[in-house]
Amino acid sequence: MSLTDERDVAAPAPRPSLRERAGRMNRWYRLGAVATALVVLLAVVRLVTGASALTSSGTVGAALGLAVPIGMAALGGLWSERAGVVNIGLEGMMILGTFGAGWIGWQYGPWAGLATAVAFGAVGGLVHAVATVSFGVDQIISGVAINILGLGVTKFLASLLLEGTPGGGQTQSPRIPSAGVFTTPLIGGPLGDLERHGWFFVSDLAGILKGLLTQISYLTLIAVLLVVLTYVVLWRTPFGLRLRSVGEDPYAAESLGVNVYLYKYVAVTVSGALAGFGGAFLAIAAATIYREGQTGGRGYIGLAAMIFGNWRPGGLIAGAALFGYTDAMQLRSADAVHALLLVVAVGLLLLAGRSAYRRRFGPAVLSLAAGLLIGWWYSSTETLPSQVTFVTPYVTTLLVLALASQRLRMPKADGLVYRKGESK
Amino acid sequence: MRRVTTLVAVMATAALALTACGGGGSGASASSSASGAGAKSSLKVGLAYDVGGRGDQSFNDSAAKGLDKAKTEFGVQVKELEAANGETDAQKEERLRLLAGDGYNPIIGVGFSYATALKKVAAEFPEVKFAIVDDSSITAANVTNLVFAENQGSFLVGTIAAQASKSGNIGYIGGVNTPLLQKFQAGFAAGAKAVNPGIKVQVKYLTEPPDFSGFGDPAKGKTVAQGMLDGGADVIYAAAGGSGAGAFEAVAAAKKLAIGVDSDQYLTAAAAVKPVIVTSMLKRVDVAVYNEIKSVVDGSALTGTQVFDLKVDGIGYSASNEAVKPFTAKADEFKAKIISGAVTVPEKP
Repeated sequence: MSLTDERDVAAPAPRPSLRERAGRMNRWYRLGAVATALVVLLAVVRLVTGASALTSSGTVGAALGLAVPIGMAALGGLWSERAGVVNIGLEGMMILGTFGAGWIGWQYGPWAGLATAVAFGAVGGLVHAVATVSFGVDQIISGVAINILGLGVTKFLASLLLEGTPGGGQTQSPRIPSAGVFTTPLIGGPLGDLERHGWFFVSDLAGILKGLLTQISYLTLIAVLLVVLTYVVLWRTPFGLRLRSVGEDPYAAESLGVNVYLYKYVAVTVSGALAGFGGAFLAIAAATIYREGQTGGRGYIGLAAMIFGNWRPGGLIAGAALFGYTDAMQLRSADAVHALLLVVAVGLLLLAGRSAYRRRFGPAVLSLAAGLLIGWWYSSTETLPSQVTFVTPYVTTLLVLALASQRLRMPKADGLVYRKGESK
Repeated sequence: MRRVTTLVAVMATAALALTACGGGGSGASASSSASGAGAKSSLKVGLAYDVGGRGDQSFNDSAAKGLDKAKTEFGVQVKELEAANGETDAQKEERLRLLAGDGYNPIIGVGFSYATALKKVAAEFPEVKFAIVDDSSITAANVTNLVFAENQGSFLVGTIAAQASKSGNIGYIGGVNTPLLQKFQAGFAAGAKAVNPGIKVQVKYLTEPPDFSGFGDPAKGKTVAQGMLDGGADVIYAAAGGSGAGAFEAVAAAKKLAIGVDSDQYLTAAAAVKPVIVTSMLKRVDVAVYNEIKSVVDGSALTGTQVFDLKVDGIGYSASNEAVKPFTAKADEFKAKIISGAVTVPEKP
């Protein structure tokens, strides 16, 4: 049971007829349709409100940069939790990563810094694995200890290794040389021209593509590859199947000859390495220095993005992207957040329509009420107070999580202690 | 199972011990010394830093500079303790109580985060002299409030920004949306408008209290600065502590101009971003700390709220970057006007 692919369990449709239709429809077409609908919605709102920041290449580029560290933490969480180990220590492993990147990065260049960050993160993961897998420590407690440890160790090491460096000190490293940016050749100019025209849909699409394809850090490219690689390894190889089986039912896996301890160790160590990569991205690409406290809770948000994404790579990308996009919006152009209200209102009304069509009247009424309320809020105000714009990413993520009413299903043995041969 | 429990205990202890080490050693970083070129004084000065402590190249380092000066001149004994990230008021109280109990007098709390704790401890030790930087809320007889006219300094760099801007569009990045940082914003905008009434000032705070991560998140600083540059700004004033480095990075990539804060950031920035930091708003915490100690040494201790403004050179702007030279004449003109009272600088935006 636990060794079968649970994809159809993860995405159930309410009625058989719909499920049949959804099954016939190619997944990629559906994805394309949803993406197009989203861009159309944004384009309409942009035309109505004149908030060009909604689809500008600048916003999308910034969103990408803000989403990568969160996405990498989420991916780390995915590896660990798919093997049945809750990893709340992602934040601490990320902190270790930022320090590794800063300490080695400023001396030997960004790539050496990246390697060190990944290694530091992996060490953090290994500590978590030793505690939770070998010694059966409560996974939450070990994770919290690693968060505290990560902060303490880096503070201690920084006062030892960064004190007196040129431009550095006990709270920050000197500047890390740039890892370089990648621009897809030839397309930047034409897309920029298209974006400037302000045409409906065409300019919006051009802005989004320009943001995604030009001036992106090489580390972003690696991050995208890591997501793809994770999908392939975890869902398309025997190794991945065994790893996931360990998270679903370790005793069943054990009875089939899987070395559960080994798989858990590998998964949690990779998890730490990925969180370390997220830290490296923050220090090298996003900030160009190590700075104490620069992770600012992104590890936790990554964990939330993973849950948002139903413990799947595609879903966690959506979660990280949503958070990155709304965060970029509120950081870059607070005025556009006001326009975002209209997007949310229209989106909620559409959601209400869909729920009603599916005869799920409870959620329909809830979405309708929320949509109308936000629509009224939009039309009755000109700007939003800064306190409200600041929480946009959090509120949006919560709203989507609450109202899209997706059925989340965590790995069955997630968070449970496994003892070899103690099957009941 | 018992073995496991023991291991948990060992792990937890190890974690706690390591964290304590990492915390900058609340009790360990005492550096008492009486070596001084000047006259020996029996005075024992206690200094409690905010998060970051000595070596943060900013606010705390400025306080350390004032302390060092007092140490060499008067030969006072000093003890320096440092706050940890995310600590409670109770821990701050404990720190101040420790200093007071050990006979340190005066005791200086660096940063407004000490306000609650210092108020309480000052009441417990009425015979000990306390001082607090950046806070004027405490009104006890034995507490000196060392505050700055940041709005005046920001006004001057605002005049420089307006002169240097070619697009008539400048930006202000505040770390955390607090009344203190709003004071910077008000002065900056007023200064810019005094030079160019039609200038556009983009304003953004990185976080809202009680989230103080906006002072240490360079990635956010960079994103916000990029947004302002895309919005047409060509001079950006970053009053955001450690997040400023990210803003400078974005400004350097776009080859525009930036303004630093608190200390002369042109001197400490990396070579690649240095040229774009045209000036910095200087907040002379060192002057305040030195004056406070000096007043006690002289036997005429400062009391009440002491405002360090342009008049006493407690605030100012830096001119170490050659690029600022064309704009200083006008800035100095406004400086004279502010000192004479011909120009009043607003405190609220």
